[in-house]
Amino acid sequence: MTLAALVDRDVAVAAPAEAAGSMLRLLTCGSVDDGKSTLIGRLLWDSGAVSEDQKASVLAQSQGRSNVNGEHVDFSLLLDGLQAEREQGITIDIAWRFFESPSRRYVIIDAPGHEQYTRNMATGASHADVAILLIDARHGAKRQTRRHAAICDLVGIKNVVLAVNKMDLTGFDEARFREIEADFTAMAGRFGFTDIQTIPVSALTGDNVSEPSGNMPWYDGPTLLDYLEAANPAAEAQDAPFRFPVQTVLRDGDFRGLAGTVASGAIAVGDRITDIRSGLAASIARIATMDGDREMAAAGDAVALELDTDLDISRGAVLSEPATAPVNADVLEARIVWVAETPFDPEAGYLLLTNTDLVSVSSLSVSALVDFETLQSAPAHSCAVNDIADCRIMLGRPTPLDLFKDLPATGNFVLVSALDGTTVAGGVITWAQSGASSSENRYVLSRDLLARGLCSDLGDSPDDRAEFDRRAQEVAILLRSVGVPVTVEI
Amino acid sequence: MTVLTSHLKLLEAESIHIFREAAAQFRNPVLLYSIGKDSTVLLHLARKAFWPAKIPFPVLHVDTTWKFREMIEFRDRVAEKYELNLLVHTNQDGVEKGVNPFDHPPSVYTDVMKTQTLRQALDGGAYDAAFGGARRDEEASRAKERIFSFRAAGHRWEPRRQRPEMWNILNGRLAKGETVRIFPLSNWTEADIWRYIALENLDVVPLYFAKERPVVERDGQLIMVDDERLPLKPGEEPAMRKIRFRTLGCYPLTAAMESDATDLAAVIEETLSAKFSERAGRLIDHDQAGAMEMKKREGYF
Repeated sequence: MTLAALVDRDVAVAAPAEAAGSMLRLLTCGSVDDGKSTLIGRLLWDSGAVSEDQKASVLAQSQGRSNVNGEHVDFSLLLDGLQAEREQGITIDIAWRFFESPSRRYVIIDAPGHEQYTRNMATGASHADVAILLIDARHGAKRQTRRHAAICDLVGIKNVVLAVNKMDLTGFDEARFREIEADFTAMAGRFGFTDIQTIPVSALTGDNVSEPSGNMPWYDGPTLLDYLEAANPAAEAQDAPFRFPVQTVLRDGDFRGLAGTVASGAIAVGDRITDIRSGLAASIARIATMDGDREMAAAGDAVALELDTDLDISRGAVLSEPATAPVNADVLEARIVWVAETPFDPEAGYLLLTNTDLVSVSSLSVSALVDFETLQSAPAHSCAVNDIADCRIMLGRPTPLDLFKDLPATGNFVLVSALDGTTVAGGVITWAQSGASSSENRYVLSRDLLARGLCSDLGDSPDDRAEFDRRAQEVAILLRSVGVPVTVEI
Repeated sequence: MTVLTSHLKLLEAESIHIFREAAAQFRNPVLLYSIGKDSTVLLHLARKAFWPAKIPFPVLHVDTTWKFREMIEFRDRVAEKYELNLLVHTNQDGVEKGVNPFDHPPSVYTDVMKTQTLRQALDGGAYDAAFGGARRDEEASRAKERIFSFRAAGHRWEPRRQRPEMWNILNGRLAKGETVRIFPLSNWTEADIWRYIALENLDVVPLYFAKERPVVERDGQLIMVDDERLPLKPGEEPAMRKIRFRTLGCYPLTAAMESDATDLAAVIEETLSAKFSERAGRLIDHDQAGAMEMKKREGYF
């Protein structure tokens, strides 16, 4: 192939309508030992994405391992790249692999099944367009299968493949497959999945992975690879509102450009925009890139915007069109997945990190937890590692937010520990409102109020004053833990 | 405007986003530049991320003193052309002790002249963040890496304790003693790098293109005789062969491949049809099982 031919081919697939489908990000998840790494290893092996030296290395190591699958290759060695993973024969962290079919680029994210490593699965899921949820045909859905399905739903995945694996170990039994399919369909009704495909496979033998299975003539649906080649996760609506989270301000001589990536919608030179944080408005004067100025920019474009008036706009602002602005919210409700080993602590300090803004959390209260047996929410006031919880968050100051169901890119956040900077939870916004931190919605814990009752036994000595303060702070903590915004004024 | 394939356009925008996030969140970042094709793309994307402003951080080359001569010439040309704040660091202690790739096993040589040197340079500059051109498709342990890859004190990578990294929200808050390695090219493949170089018309070190060069054959690998420091074994006679390099490192540790690919189009075609992975030509990666992961745990980028 000549370079010219290569460029031609690339131009041919670069039509704007195809852009979203040019890359498919695929997650494999499900409970431990249901065969995730093996399935992906098989897919890579069969699709020619494994080089000769990698094949030789896998073949050599397959023989050295105790749990060799008969004469079969240990495909999981292609994914489990850490020493600890190979030694223990488990997946600890997500592996990223890439391959190209004639029609598209695949990004494969292989997630660990162990409950202990759910945080890594959640990381992987948040980057995926399609999830392959594996179930061992012999065992059916397990607790961890349901947890993974719930996390896929939380992070916004709409397309799910239920791969009923190890069909070879059930004698390719159709009745067993239908039973698992019905069970999952009932469970999936709780989620927002819009496209569910159930496929009976054997990752080890390759049945229905990239080749149709001769062992399951009763199945007339697509193979896994056929499904993926045709999958078309819903692209963003054409008329989605414009969102531009500002990352940084670029300056060079007279140039002052707001740098960022368009999160949704599109904008053109001359369009009117607003910064909802400050309420300031201006028009787009220039859309600059090193490759030349543009007339317009759409979702996914990394550009620098120059405005016709020099407004004081900095990192953390979200530019929008005036009529479709986000909520400048300081109270929100969200569904979160807790990913830190340390459980939620109402007294610990947390920060809320959106695309580009970092805001202190003044109170966080948990209202419910998802039960992974029934998938129903039950009232709760705490949450710990790998839990999915509904919560209410009050912010120290307002920040522009959207609802995740409307605009996923600006409707999500992570919670960060103020103590050591680690990410403790990922969340999606289900409700947001501004003005909650204004005085009428806050409970003011005043000196008079406390002196009348709770602290009526205390006098004016230094020790009594300290005790007064301590009681006031304790009451504030208790109130905040049930979602009441409190200001202590003593 | 440059026409990109649609997935390259996504990758480019993602990398620019990462550069801007890092520049906004870290106090004192540095870009690790190793002169090869990945560094070439990394530098180009950094220029795009901050254009029309200049790259707002220095560019650091860890020089083992055993790089190909053409690499050093290329580095200096690039630094001048783009007015880079280029810093070059060599482990003087290692040089004085005579550490070299012939008398020392690859693991010792790499540790002293690359890993320790890098740690010295990062500590010396008090950098809290270092950009690297590593890609997840290179090697099995790199396939596990985050984009913001946190390092404990002493630059140790703890693969079992990586931070969650959800959606495109990059959390750069550091705990005491922590630093971070940032990999804007995480989701690029070797073929993407070459396609991008072709489409953006980027200059690369000429060693990537086939030419008659003096080589010796050792253990089935072709080693180029780049200067008189390569000790020839008894009976060894450098021969002219038409070779090129798929990856560039220290010349005594980087195997060449016989090739007729003299231009980008041929290199791309050869890359797309390659039966062996890129790092098969990196001798240091095969010293022992899990070699890359061990080096990364010790602070290698």
